[in-house]
Amino acid sequence: MTDRAETPSAQSLVLEARGVTKHYEGVTALDHATLAVGPGEVHALLGGNGAGKSTLISIISGVTKPDSGKILLGGEVMPASGPLAAISAGISTIYQELSLVPALSVLDNIFLGREIKRKTLGLPLTSDRRSMELAVRDLAADFGVTANELHTPVSEFGALKKRSIEIVKALAFDPKVLILDEPTSGLEDAERQVLFGYMRSMRERGVSLVWVTHHLEELFGLADKATVFKDGRTVATVATESTSIDKLITLMFGADREEFGGGDTRKIAHLQPSSERPVILRARNLTRGSVVRDISLDVHEGEIVGLAGLAGAGRTEVVRTLMGLDALTSGSVELNGRRLSLRNSTAAYRAGLAMLPEDRKQLGILADLSTAQNISISRLSTVTAAGFWMSRRKELALAESYRGQLGIKTPDVNARIGNLSGGNQQKAIVARCLNTSPKLLIFDEPTQGIDVSAKVEVHALVRDYAANGGAAILIASEIEELLELSHRVLVLKKGQIVGEVRNIPAAIEAGEFARIKSEVLTLSAAGQAS
Amino acid sequence: MTSKPRSATETIRNLWERLLVDPTLGVISLLLIFALIAAFALPVFYAGNNIYNLVGSSITVMILSIGMTVVLISGGIDLSVGAVMALCAGVAATVLKMGAPLFVAFVCAILVGIAAGLLNGLLVTRVGLPDFIATLAMLGFASGVLYIATQGVPIIGYMTSEYYIVGGLDPLVGPVTFPILVAVVLALIVGWVLSRTKLGTHFFAVGSNAVASRQSGIPVRWVKTQAYMLSGTCAAVAGIILAGRNNNVPADLGTGYEIQAISAAIIGGASLMGGRGRVLGAVLGALTLALAINIINLAGVPSSFQKIVIGVILILAVIANYLSELARGATQRRRAKRLSSIDA
Ligand SMILES: Nc1ncnc2c1ncn2[C@@H]1O[C@H](COP(=O)(O)OP(=O)(O)OP(=O)(O)O)[C@@H](O)[C@H]1O
Ligand SMILES: [Mg+2]
Repeated sequence: MTDRAETPSAQSLVLEARGVTKHYEGVTALDHATLAVGPGEVHALLGGNGAGKSTLISIISGVTKPDSGKILLGGEVMPASGPLAAISAGISTIYQELSLVPALSVLDNIFLGREIKRKTLGLPLTSDRRSMELAVRDLAADFGVTANELHTPVSEFGALKKRSIEIVKALAFDPKVLILDEPTSGLEDAERQVLFGYMRSMRERGVSLVWVTHHLEELFGLADKATVFKDGRTVATVATESTSIDKLITLMFGADREEFGGGDTRKIAHLQPSSERPVILRARNLTRGSVVRDISLDVHEGEIVGLAGLAGAGRTEVVRTLMGLDALTSGSVELNGRRLSLRNSTAAYRAGLAMLPEDRKQLGILADLSTAQNISISRLSTVTAAGFWMSRRKELALAESYRGQLGIKTPDVNARIGNLSGGNQQKAIVARCLNTSPKLLIFDEPTQGIDVSAKVEVHALVRDYAANGGAAILIASEIEELLELSHRVLVLKKGQIVGEVRNIPAAIEAGEFARIKSEVLTLSAAGQAS
Repeated sequence: MTSKPRSATETIRNLWERLLVDPTLGVISLLLIFALIAAFALPVFYAGNNIYNLVGSSITVMILSIGMTVVLISGGIDLSVGAVMALCAGVAATVLKMGAPLFVAFVCAILVGIAAGLLNGLLVTRVGLPDFIATLAMLGFASGVLYIATQGVPIIGYMTSEYYIVGGLDPLVGPVTFPILVAVVLALIVGWVLSRTKLGTHFFAVGSNAVASRQSGIPVRWVKTQAYMLSGTCAAVAGIILAGRNNNVPADLGTGYEIQAISAAIIGGASLMGGRGRVLGAVLGALTLALAINIINLAGVPSSFQKIVIGVILILAVIANYLSELARGATQRRRAKRLSSIDA
């Protein structure tokens, strides 16, 4: 049952997918999926985790071969001959998982496979790095990549910068169709706006955009149409101006928003922890070179402390030192009054700290292990029998309970986690962290790539964890998420704490959400001169 | 940006920093340390033709390790280089014995080397065998063919006066021998390919992240195959030279060379994980190995200790490379800090 908004006549379509079907072992990723994108159109692909969006994109980009069905570009059937053909046909793709080559410089990554060549001995053999640099310098600068950084190996950058680099890479070649699979995940608001600006200007130049996002509010004013997927099938294509978030959610999940606790009122963190409650974490004068400077913070029992700040403010760097992942130049950390030696992350985990890393592919998932193993790995004692040998049964029971709670979509928790959709991998990592039942949990972008419905579940789990006597530090680039979960927000800038906003739940309850939001934003941006 | 007049101290600091950030710093230091030990502890080190022989003896491993570096960069490993080298030496010797001119014999040997590399590449990228297994099979195959062809009797009687020059037994001009010339030219070409050409970038890309490379439209399988073909070519060149240097081709000529080639590449900074490596590093790595073996020979240590020494050097090299990596990061941070403080 496909109810379509006015479909443009077939010949005016830029990109079309017809009856695309793809089976993997035990899963039907796509089941006769269709998609029709007109010229100069921003077309959103929506759907819950595992709905098949990324699979369709990788088929369009020539990376995956469909079992049946075809892709038409400008009315002509594309031969299924691999990524190079799709790229030369003008399809540029930003994939969901960061896909840069760590060993190469930023510049070489941008031009990978499309190097500008110079003649040597009459043959176009040598790469002309100077011309390449000139060609992308301005574009790169717009996304905060300096001329110096163009020559630095990608391996030296964090997830956020890598995302920007990927965007530059995709925009650098004036594509006919630009496909973006969750391009904003992990991006700051300011960078999001830069990206949206580019998306608008590309649309004006007649480029068609296919865009996957889980942030439905981003659609309005930017996307022209949206196609909703559910379980590999195309549910509907709608014009964004004639729809609403609630309607889209109903299409995506077949349930309405209230059912999973959405609704109009903003959620607030439960419990009001006061500073009289015992201090769980006490960090004093943390310093690491010029990246982290003299940070002191306390986290009380039952409290969720948010870290706010612009890109490069040093939020991830602060929590990395807490976890013993980066060495401190000076400073001390106490957990429950006991001084920690932060030699390495194993010591941190043993002491009762745990972290959900920002870059799930590089730091989080163990791609070749099963989903069940990925969930239990940080605390194997929960799945051992007699505290000694691994119990398959316990491991399975643990995985199944989280699968139910978080709605992890997989036919078999014993299957390789690398084959799960991006959002479902993220859910498994969240489960892993919660399972360590640590004294202090650090969440770095916990809901990246998670669909609207699971986000509510993850938020609930985070709140429950704190309410039951845990303590948490939260980093979230989406300020709404940060405020809805935190009791207190510390604002960072250039590695220093520049401000604090207290009593957030009370303020939200009093209807002052907009006020504290602007307060945090002003603090993050202020002090530019100092 | 205004250019300021530079003081002498600043120039020295810049040079020093350049050295500190050079990825080959680790091997260079190791080589220097060994040379110093040799110079002070063993006066015979400088006696006669010792250094000359030392360089000559390192050439075979050096050429093999240049090809090996490319394979390692693209994420593979080539265990067959020693056996393929010996097979190519056998081919060159046999063709010469049949009365063909040198040139023809060399072309035949090189074609065999390229074919072996191509086969390695196809086994890995088309059949889907792991690199280790595919090249191990090639090792067995190549050495088996040589054994059967020679019946275990070394090939002899193919040397001509020109071949003495090719083998480096007679010098070319002054102290420079033909093998030295070949090694230098080969190092320059492969170094240029790696740093300046599209193919070079693709070698690094494929070894560092194959998925991303594929998504960028790089023909991943063909790139890997080319790396193996290059390694096969290097093996053939090394075989041609070794046949000349050795005067005869026994069936076990290549035994153990694969380990030395891999060691030299790794001493030079290549990584078994792919995406890293340098030709200059491999060249210095081969010299370091030869130097170390030379030292224990001069010191009268039984040659059975050579393998242990190679193992120890490998560990030292990995540590040295790690230290140089640290120095590099620290220097870069210091420099960035200085530059930003100038800006402010
Ligand atoms: N290589 C693979 N092997 C096995 N199953 C796979 C593979 N790739 C995808 N799948 C399965 O296909 C289904 C669709 O996955 P896909 O990545 O397209 O979802 P998605 O809509 O992009 O989800 P998300 O929002 O979480 O990114 C999932 O159930 C996933 O587990
Ligand atoms: Mg996806």
